[in-house]
Amino acid sequence: MYNLIAKIGEGALNLCHETGGLLHLLFMVIKSLFPPRFDPGEFLRNLYKMGVKSVPIIILTAFFTGGIMVIQASVFVKRFGATSLVGWGAGYAVFREVGPILLGLMFSGRVGSNNTAELGTMVVTEQIDGLKALGIDPMQYLIVPRVLSMIIMLFLLTIIGDVIAIVGAALFGILIADVSFAAFWTSFSQNVHVADVVHGLIKAGVFGFIVSLTSCYAGMTVRGGAVGVGRAVNNAVVTAALGIVISDYFLTYSLS
Amino acid sequence: MSIIFKDVHRYFGSKKVLTGVNMSVQPGEKLFVIGTSGVGKSVTIKHIIGLLKPTSGEVSVDGVRVDKVSEKELFTIRRKVAMVFQASALFDSLSLLENVMLPIRKHLKLKDAEVRKKAMALLDEVGMLKHAGLYPSEIGDGMRKRVAIARALSLDPAYVLFDEPTTGLDPVSARRVDSLISQLATERNAGCIIVSHDLVSIFSTATKIAMVYKGIIYKEGPIEDFHSSTDPVIRQFLSGSSSGPMETPGF
Amino acid sequence: MTGKLYEMTANLGGFVTGIFAAALSLFSIAMRTFRGVFRFRGRAQGEVLKQMYLIGNRSLIFVTVTLGALGMVLVFQVCLQINKITGDQSQVGPEFIKGMIHAFVPILTAMMLATRVGAGIAAETGSMVVTEQIDALRMTGVDPVDFILVPRFIASVVMTFVLGVYAMVIVIVAGAFMAHSSFGVNYNVFFVFDKVTGGDLFIGSLKLIVHGGAIPIVAGYCGLTTGRGSEGVGNATTRAVINSSLAVIIIDFIISGVGLLTVQKI
Repeated sequence: MYNLIAKIGEGALNLCHETGGLLHLLFMVIKSLFPPRFDPGEFLRNLYKMGVKSVPIIILTAFFTGGIMVIQASVFVKRFGATSLVGWGAGYAVFREVGPILLGLMFSGRVGSNNTAELGTMVVTEQIDGLKALGIDPMQYLIVPRVLSMIIMLFLLTIIGDVIAIVGAALFGILIADVSFAAFWTSFSQNVHVADVVHGLIKAGVFGFIVSLTSCYAGMTVRGGAVGVGRAVNNAVVTAALGIVISDYFLTYSLS
Repeated sequence: MSIIFKDVHRYFGSKKVLTGVNMSVQPGEKLFVIGTSGVGKSVTIKHIIGLLKPTSGEVSVDGVRVDKVSEKELFTIRRKVAMVFQASALFDSLSLLENVMLPIRKHLKLKDAEVRKKAMALLDEVGMLKHAGLYPSEIGDGMRKRVAIARALSLDPAYVLFDEPTTGLDPVSARRVDSLISQLATERNAGCIIVSHDLVSIFSTATKIAMVYKGIIYKEGPIEDFHSSTDPVIRQFLSGSSSGPMETPGF
Repeated sequence: MTGKLYEMTANLGGFVTGIFAAALSLFSIAMRTFRGVFRFRGRAQGEVLKQMYLIGNRSLIFVTVTLGALGMVLVFQVCLQINKITGDQSQVGPEFIKGMIHAFVPILTAMMLATRVGAGIAAETGSMVVTEQIDALRMTGVDPVDFILVPRFIASVVMTFVLGVYAMVIVIVAGAFMAHSSFGVNYNVFFVFDKVTGGDLFIGSLKLIVHGGAIPIVAGYCGLTTGRGSEGVGNATTRAVINSSLAVIIIDFIISGVGLLTVQKI
C-alpha cells in the first residue's frame, strides 16, 4: 500500500517536472519571437529538410489512408445501397479527423523523432555546450527555427496529404468498392465543404506545434549517451501521440 | 587581467565534487589542470564559461563575476574565453569551413567574403585548409581536434580552455596539438587552461600545473615545483605508478 | 555528360540494390523469428512474461487515454453530421460499434503501439548494438534474433490482441458516453451489438494479430541494423517508428481490401 502511494506520488512529481520543463521551453520560444531573433539560414534549412524530405512518407500514408477510408465507408454503404454517400463519407472523415491525426502521427515519427535524435546527439557530444561556448544562443540558433518550420510544414504537408488521400479514396473506390468516379465526385463535391478542410488544417497547425515542442524538449533533456538518445526518441513520440490525440479531442469540441 | 577561482564549491546532489578550488591564470600562461579520471577537472573549467554554476564561491574572468551574471551577459564572456571540447563538438550538419565560419558570422559584422577569408586563414593556421569542404564525420579524431581549435580561435579569444585535448589521439597527432597550444600562447599571448592526464603533454608544454585531488587544488605552481616535489601523492601521479597513497574514484 | 550519367545510373543501381538488400534482411529476420517461435521451448518464459508486462501493462494508460479520446471524437463527428442530415441517432451506436471492431480500433491501437512499443524495441536493440552486446551474444553462439526478438514477438502478438480487445471496450464506452452527454442518445439504444457479424470479428482479430507481429519484426530489424556512432541509436529509433507505422497502415489496407471482397461481401 505504501509502495503504491509512493509510486503515484513519484509519477505525479515526474509529470509536474515534465510539464514545467515544457512550459519553460514554450516561454523561451515565445520570448525569442518578440521581437523575432532567430537564425534565418537555419530556418530555411529546416524548412527544406523537414518539408521536402517528408513528402514521400506523407504521400504514402495519405494514399493508403484514403483507400482504407473508402473501403470502410463502402462496408457501411453497401448494406444501405447508398453509394452516393461514399465520397462524402471518405472526404469528411479524411479532412476532419483521420487525415490530420494519421499525418500528424507520421510527421511525429519522421520529423519529430528525427529532431529529437539530432538534438539529443548534439547534447551528448557537447555540441550544445559548444554553441554556448561560442556565444551563440541555442534557443535562437536551434530551437526556434525548428519549432517554426515544424508548424509550417505539417500545415502544408496536410494540404498535400488531403489531396492525395482523396485521390486514393477515389481510385480504390473504383477498383475495390464499385463506386464510379462520377458518383464519388458528385457526392464529394456536394457535401464536403471548405469548413471541413479548414477544421482539419487548424488541427494540423496545432499538432505541428505539439510535435515541435515535445520533440525539442525530449532532445534537449537527453542524458546518458547514445543509449539515452534512443530512450528520448521513444519518449518524444509517445508524448507527441498523447498530445495529438488529447488536443484533437478539445479542438473537435471547440471548433464545432 | 586573469581568470580567478576563489573557494569554489560544486555539489551534484549529495555528491561533493569540488570543495574549495582556488587557482588563477594570466594571459600567455599554459596552466595544466591534472588529476585522475572523474576527479572534477572538466567540471572545474566548465565554470569559467558558465556552463556550470558554482554551489558557492567566486569565479571571475578579467574582473567580471561569471557566477553572478545573467545568461545574456555570459555570451560576452564566452566570446572572450573559447573552449575546445573533449570530443571536439563540431557541428555535424556543417562542413569544416562552415563550422569555423559560424561564430564569425554570428558575432563580427563582416561581409560574407571576409568571413570566409578569416575562416580559411584559421583553418590554414591549423593545417586543415585542404579539407575545408569535408564534414566532421568524414575525418579522424586528430583532424577534428585541429578544426575545433581553429573554431575556438575564430573570435580572437583572450583565453582558451582545452578539455583533454590529447585523449584518444595517436602520439603524433597529440604532439601536434601540444605544439598548437604552445604556439597560441606565445604568438597570441592567450591564457590556456588544459585539462589533461597525458604526462608527455604536461611535461613538454605546461608553464604551470594545478593538481585536483579530493575536491580541492592539492597543489598549484610552476612545473619545476612538481619536478622537485617530494609529496607522495604528486610523485605517484607523475610517475604513473599503481601503488601509493593516491585514491582513485571508481577503482 | 557521360560522367554524370554514369553517376546517376550508379546511384539508381545503389538505391535499388539497397532496397533489395533491406527487404532480404527484413525477410530473413522475420523467418528467423518465426522459426524461433516454433522452436520455443519455454526456456525463456520469464523473458516473455517480462516483455508482456512491458508491452501490455506499461501501455495501458497510454492506450486508455488515446483510444478513449479518439472514441469520443469519432462519435462526436458522426453525430454532428447526422444531426445536419436526418437527425436520426438510433443507428449511431450499432454502426459505430461495428465500424470500431473491424476498422478503427485495430489500426488506431496498432498505430499507438507502433509508436510506443516499436520505438522501445528499436532503442533497446540499437543500444545493444552500439555497446557491442550483440557481438558478445554472437560470440557465445546465440542468435540475437532468438534471444531478443522471439520473446518480444510472442509478447507483442498476445498483448496487442489483448490491448485491442481492451481498447474496444474503452472506445465503445467513451463513445456511448459522448453520444449520451452531447446528443442525448440513450445507452440502451447505443449498446446494440446485432450489427456485428462473425466476419467483422474475424477481420478485427486478424488485423490485431498481424499488426502485433509486424511491429516487433520491423522495429527489431531497424534496431539490429543500427549504425555506429552517437547518432546511430537515435536514427534507428526514428526509422522504427516510421517503418512500423507505415507497415501497420499498409497491412491494414490490404486486410481491409481482401476482407471487403471476401468475408464482408454481402
